[in-house]
Amino acid sequence: MTGSVSAEMDLTWRYAASAPMRRFLEGVAEGRLEAGRCTGCGRRYLPPRPFCGRCRLAITEWVPVTDRGVLEAWTLVHLPIRDGRSGEMRPSPYGMGLIRLDGADTTLNHYLQLPDGVEPRIGDRVQAVWRPERRGAMDDILHFEVIR
Amino acid sequence: MNPVAVIGTGQTRHTRARDDASQADLVREAASAALTDAGLRPDDLDAVIISNMELFEGRLHPELWVGEAAYATGRPCLKVATGGTSGTSACIAGFHQAGSGAFDLVLVVGFEKHSEGHTQTGMALTDPFWDRAVASGAVGNFALSISQYMAARGVTERQAAQVAVKARHNAARNPHAHLQMPDLTVEQVLESRMLAHPLRMLDMCPQSDGAAAIVVASAGATRDMATPAAWVHAASTRHDQPYLGDLDRRMATMEALRSAAAEAYSKAAIGDPLSDIDVAEIYEPVTYAELAWYEALGFCPEGEAGRLIDEGITSMEGTLPVNPSGGVLSTNPVGASGVIRVAEAAAQLMGRAGEHQVPGAATALATGYGVYAWSDVIVMRSEEP
Repeated sequence: MTGSVSAEMDLTWRYAASAPMRRFLEGVAEGRLEAGRCTGCGRRYLPPRPFCGRCRLAITEWVPVTDRGVLEAWTLVHLPIRDGRSGEMRPSPYGMGLIRLDGADTTLNHYLQLPDGVEPRIGDRVQAVWRPERRGAMDDILHFEVIR
Repeated sequence: MNPVAVIGTGQTRHTRARDDASQADLVREAASAALTDAGLRPDDLDAVIISNMELFEGRLHPELWVGEAAYATGRPCLKVATGGTSGTSACIAGFHQAGSGAFDLVLVVGFEKHSEGHTQTGMALTDPFWDRAVASGAVGNFALSISQYMAARGVTERQAAQVAVKARHNAARNPHAHLQMPDLTVEQVLESRMLAHPLRMLDMCPQSDGAAAIVVASAGATRDMATPAAWVHAASTRHDQPYLGDLDRRMATMEALRSAAAEAYSKAAIGDPLSDIDVAEIYEPVTYAELAWYEALGFCPEGEAGRLIDEGITSMEGTLPVNPSGGVLSTNPVGASGVIRVAEAAAQLMGRAGEHQVPGAATALATGYGVYAWSDVIVMRSEEP
């Protein structure tokens, strides 16, 4: 279009993990989940946070968490979106859930595999489905499945 | 903080793509209108604040590139960027500057030109370690929160659709508004395209191009002027934990907004918000958020937001008109959206809101919202504190 100019930028970033995130992802690579526990309020953060915002303390304690939990929120996304990791368009529709894993106090945002013709309910039990070849990243868990 | 007032407001025409104007042109359009409204010349200004989410346009340092359009050459100029609250935070920074005695006249300009950006940049708002692999954008995140809010409070898709209709009908009386849909019906909202269950296309705000500006004056500076003024009685801002999973049932609890509102109401001596406030311009990026904010802002007890919209209490004819301008649901140039809330609230108090004026408005509320983690609450009155 006359009167405008287009520009492309190929942006690549590299981020360093905090010590808690490094430990967490090393655990994920072994199929193990851990939450960071605040020594002030006892809140168990998953994914782990470097600091508890409420108590203003560095998080130094760890507690084990299972790969099962409770569905606290869900949606079925129809709007196509470009995947944040691959840059490819993600097939839609796809399920999303907020999952409180057994042993954690915060919720994890992740994909939800919906059984055919079944609408999920808040309070449903869910189970992580792991990637066969793990690499120490959040998507080593492919998605969560509703257990009925 | 010494007393400060908003003494002028200006806005561009907002629309999907302002191909007729550059980013600087938009900024000048709003800045110039605000100065004219205040009866000032560019040389009268002491300082300038710019609000913009620069990543959305992919152009670093907007305050550098559009500063001269905002009359900033040769004077202090800085940028504020805090997500959806950018505009209200910039206004509050302006209040602090004029209220500290450092400056008498401060121009605050917010702008966004979404049509020149790339939606993928939104991905940079998420944490690279755990969020990007599973991010589903603003729409998906809102939908998750809304599923919890609906379960907790029992609001219905029809009640949310009524918010959409109210906003777009109000916008039809606002010449600056982007989406003007005077004939929109609840059925049309409920039949619009599903984006992420239960969120439909017409439940969401648009992406707009546009700019808005206000002129903030110290009490001393207003003495020499004949222009009406909207006096700031309280301006509170809150930050919360950034990861969404850390905020339990975030739309139902909305602790940042509740906390900011409690402080602002205390400072401004507001006991019953529904009767003490005459008009509200609140930052509602999605229909369900407006209902949730009614509760967080104390317009009603928890669980009664649906009743407020059912009974028309927040319509133009109701007890507390909410978003006479059409709100964010009708116009959303992000960096400007918070400035628009303050400008609209101030214009109501100055009796300059035109076709969407709430008659006799003396106390006005303006709020900002950003990713659940930022909240701003501002109370203004036509009377000096």
